Amino acid sequence: MKYSIFSLARAAFSGHKNWQRTWRDASPKARYDVVIIGGGGHGLATAWFLASEYGIRNVAVLEKGWIGSGNAGRNTTIIRSNYGLPGNTGFYELSMKLWERMEQDLNYNTMVSQRGVINLYHSDAQRDAYARRGNTMRINGIDAELLDLAAVRKMMPFLNFDNARFPVQGGLLQRRGGTARHDAVVWGYAHAASALGVDIIQNCEVTGFVRDANGKVTGVETSRGKIGAGKVGMAVAGSSSRVAAMAGLRLPIESHVLQAFVSEAIKPLIPNVMTFGAGHFYVSQSDKGGLVFGGDIDGYNSYAQRGNMPVMEDVCEGGMALMPMIGRVRLLRQWGGIMDMSMDGSPIIDKTPVDGLYLNAGWCYGGFKATPGSGLVFAHLLARDEPHQEAARFRLDRFRRGAMIDEKGVGAQPNLH
Amino acid sequence: MAEFSWLPRSPLEHALVVGACGAREVAPGISLTEIRNFDLIQIMARRGKGAELANAAKARFGMAAPEVPKAVSASDVTLIWSGPDQFLVLSKGGKHAMDILSQAFSQSASLSDQSHARALISISGTKARAMLAKLSSLDLHPASFPIGAAAATSIDHTSVNLWRGNDRPDGQAVFNLLVFATFAESLWHTMLDAAAEYGVDIGHSAEV
Amino acid sequence: MRIVCPFCGERELGEFTCLGDAKPVRPAAGASEDEVFDYVYLRDNIAGEMSEHWYHGGGCRAWLKITRNTLTHEICSVEPAAGAGARQAAR
Repeated sequence: MKYSIFSLARAAFSGHKNWQRTWRDASPKARYDVVIIGGGGHGLATAWFLASEYGIRNVAVLEKGWIGSGNAGRNTTIIRSNYGLPGNTGFYELSMKLWERMEQDLNYNTMVSQRGVINLYHSDAQRDAYARRGNTMRINGIDAELLDLAAVRKMMPFLNFDNARFPVQGGLLQRRGGTARHDAVVWGYAHAASALGVDIIQNCEVTGFVRDANGKVTGVETSRGKIGAGKVGMAVAGSSSRVAAMAGLRLPIESHVLQAFVSEAIKPLIPNVMTFGAGHFYVSQSDKGGLVFGGDIDGYNSYAQRGNMPVMEDVCEGGMALMPMIGRVRLLRQWGGIMDMSMDGSPIIDKTPVDGLYLNAGWCYGGFKATPGSGLVFAHLLARDEPHQEAARFRLDRFRRGAMIDEKGVGAQPNLH
Repeated sequence: MAEFSWLPRSPLEHALVVGACGAREVAPGISLTEIRNFDLIQIMARRGKGAELANAAKARFGMAAPEVPKAVSASDVTLIWSGPDQFLVLSKGGKHAMDILSQAFSQSASLSDQSHARALISISGTKARAMLAKLSSLDLHPASFPIGAAAATSIDHTSVNLWRGNDRPDGQAVFNLLVFATFAESLWHTMLDAAAEYGVDIGHSAEV
Repeated sequence: MRIVCPFCGERELGEFTCLGDAKPVRPAAGASEDEVFDYVYLRDNIAGEMSEHWYHGGGCRAWLKITRNTLTHEICSVEPAAGAGARQAAR
């Protein structure tokens, strides 16, 4: 069904009792042209772009649990394209542009809110680094503004400007950045993909790959039976190593837990998304009033969707350094998601050495903002068998070639990215 | 050339203000006393020389150096465990100073003089354990942290050596804490914040 | 998670830092490019019991070898890593 003011009015007259499900809960067919493993934002976006951009509609999305139950539902909903390295800059801007038209494209309210993302700086050296990043963004046609202290003070008068150790000196602002409602993104893609004939199959765990005599992947074994496939795409960040292992692959990835937090609702306070530059802390305020915030990964390998106290303490200390007045705000919820931490902090979107198997992985903790861009470039790869031009550097063999995309510059230490 | 001399100075010289601090309407629940002018030598066994070091320590101090997290005392010295095969020698008056100990342990251990690199803070009073409970994750109940117990741990992200000394004459437990000199002021303020509600009696002493 | 340090006893996680998988061994100087690539970049990324190196930096500063379940965070065993300081704990 198509959502509009008229559909809303019609539904209102019938007491909102006749709303239909927004997407079809399908049962597996024997064979699809493309099978996507993983019903998160990336997998569903890939399916929608395959159907809408590349005309491939005989597509299934297989989800082990329910759609959006993994990292798509476990993030801090931030969207931005303030990256500095070739490879990332263009890709994330492609994604940002897709966010800006997503609601029209999908006919679904994903609550995209371009409220601005500001990275605060606290030293001269950090200002220089942010100025350089801002310049890089502007050269690439991405909006960026370097704000001085007065401008930050005007925008966010509630910050602690008297912190002697970490004085706020200014910030790098991307006005087009902001937030989007994570669940709605999942449902929006499911809604639009389903309407184009994509089968979304839940409670369907992939347990193995079907290979022909030449080793080519020709389908998947699942908890709901064997499903044939022309091509199989993996979009299972967090579990990439486990799924790839079924095809005999080892990946340059470690799985780590990242926590996020929501406070009780308070009056509107934070007008944008802001990050603390002297620690790792990022925060925005949800429409319900809760402060949504996070920080570093816990730092040890984990597949458990929960974290531990030291990082929680560290994140809250970052918040307190910026806004001492939140000290009496109560934490409402905390959760953990499993991150595919790659060896350079950047994603991998590529064919694998196994014929017929395609990989979308290694999103570290930046996967949510990439959702539409990731869907488009992965669909391109699956449809055309060659990388999209904006994802041409996200190759699996870049580690061997020494062509890393390491924004943080820490090398093959996944727990430090 | 002008005369020049080093003046030993406490790392807490600026932060420490002698007298009462915090809640005034109650009898002070916490005593914070900085101990000044001590000798402190870190002794670490060289690879494979752990047993040799143990023998040398016994010969030098007349008692075994602790091999588990404990502090042991003789009349003129305290040996504090600081990690596997290593300990700190705390004393006064130069009897166990660097030049002397380096002779005794030259074959078995590496030594470093920490006398002016650490601050030593003594914490006692009826509320000492309540205050430390805000800062430390260790269980300091007498049942699990009796006299002579020691720990290498962190307080407020700062590495410290913590041990329980002999009780005060009034029966109150005494916790001694060694912290790196440059971290001392920060930790001192943190402890004052934690102690303020109980009322604090601040002083310094030259008695180890 | 709390970790029972063989030297210090049970301590909170905040005193420790994880180095990661203890299994990979640095290849010899003359090793092939494949071996070095494998050592530096590829991971088993085990879902289940994994042997890891941890550092008790907020305590006795000993390196530890810990077997831990990455699915549950349960710690199965803790022992000193090879090297100085292992003498007493090994006893």
